[in-house]
Amino acid sequence: MDVLPSVPAAPRFDLDEPGTFLYTGAASSRGYELNRCALTLRSASARGQFLADETAYLKRFGLSDEVCAQVRARDWTALLKAGGHLLALLKIAATVGENLFHIGAHSVGTDARTLYAACPRRVRGLGDLGG
Amino acid sequence: MGLEYDLGMSGAFKPEWQIWYDGVQPVKAWLEALRPDRLVVVYNDHLNHFQFDAYPTLALGVAASFRQADEGWGLRDFPPLPGDIDFGWHVATSLVRGEFDLTVCQELSIDHGVYSWFPYLFDLPWRLPITPIAVNMVRHPIPTSRRLYRLGAALRQAVASWPAPERVLVVATGGMSHQISGARFGMANEELDRYFLRHLRERCDSLVDIPQETLMRLGGTEAAELAIWFAMRGALSPAVREVYAFHTFPKITGCGVIAFEEAGP
Repeated sequence: MDVLPSVPAAPRFDLDEPGTFLYTGAASSRGYELNRCALTLRSASARGQFLADETAYLKRFGLSDEVCAQVRARDWTALLKAGGHLLALLKIAATVGENLFHIGAHSVGTDARTLYAACPRRVRGLGDLGG
Repeated sequence: MGLEYDLGMSGAFKPEWQIWYDGVQPVKAWLEALRPDRLVVVYNDHLNHFQFDAYPTLALGVAASFRQADEGWGLRDFPPLPGDIDFGWHVATSLVRGEFDLTVCQELSIDHGVYSWFPYLFDLPWRLPITPIAVNMVRHPIPTSRRLYRLGAALRQAVASWPAPERVLVVATGGMSHQISGARFGMANEELDRYFLRHLRERCDSLVDIPQETLMRLGGTEAAELAIWFAMRGALSPAVREVYAFHTFPKITGCGVIAFEEAGP
């Protein structure tokens, strides 16, 4: 397997950050406004408005300056930590011409193309399930 | 899976998706021979219809048709799915009276939870009437595996009490091992997927007892969607005949299918 060095070959069997950002109720409350904003982009007209003036669009939803800056910087990992749901952030990515692999690559620490080439990232084992 | 289907139909399946397309053809042929009258689909929405102002744990769609959800990239070239009003209300009544009180949605747009695999199995024009049931898989707490197995049993009751002598197909669908956020993005545990398929027919209880956290550790957070499959198994009797099973791992989600028929007459 020619997995490129910037993508660790085998994800670990734990649910700790930064491997995993488990989407809990607390995260959902933390990211409520961000997700509400992102999910408006499920309509073409909203995507048009976002692209016409991103800052003005974000301001409508009562997002903090910090979160607005993270959106503008496409700092996907920070947005996940701020309670952004991956599937909501994906609407922002879609609007600006990015996709799932761009968001994933940001968390993995590589670029989308390298991550795409590295998938599937195979792991083996059934842990305590036995065989 | 859905976008790869569109590429394939325009003449160029990627090799890893050709494997999946070929692998599900026996299921398509089986369905054509079965000629079901109605279809119940238990699936998960991916924040494409619902959002967090009101996110139902379990929701049932009752409408004349269900439009395709815009997931952010615009619509694919497919029509709405045909709904099933009379049967839908029958299912709603049967479930709620059986203490399975779901949210009833008279408008429901449907995303790749159904639109991804549906064209692989059903040719246009789509005529088979559908009753969709959406399960929260986007935010914890998600319903337990046992609860979804019991949902299947409740669906069996609903189907059994429908007065017409019709054939109802129950489909449950969710990704197998996969994780699409965080640094574990793209993890693929084929061993887990195959273990699941191997045990679903005869040792379903042992699968239902696996903590969802274990599924998530071994197969990625989205492997929790395997719990949805229990709604299909729970709708069938303990002794079923396995018609077909297939598994492959094209890119970022384990893709599997298993088809059961009631063994008895």
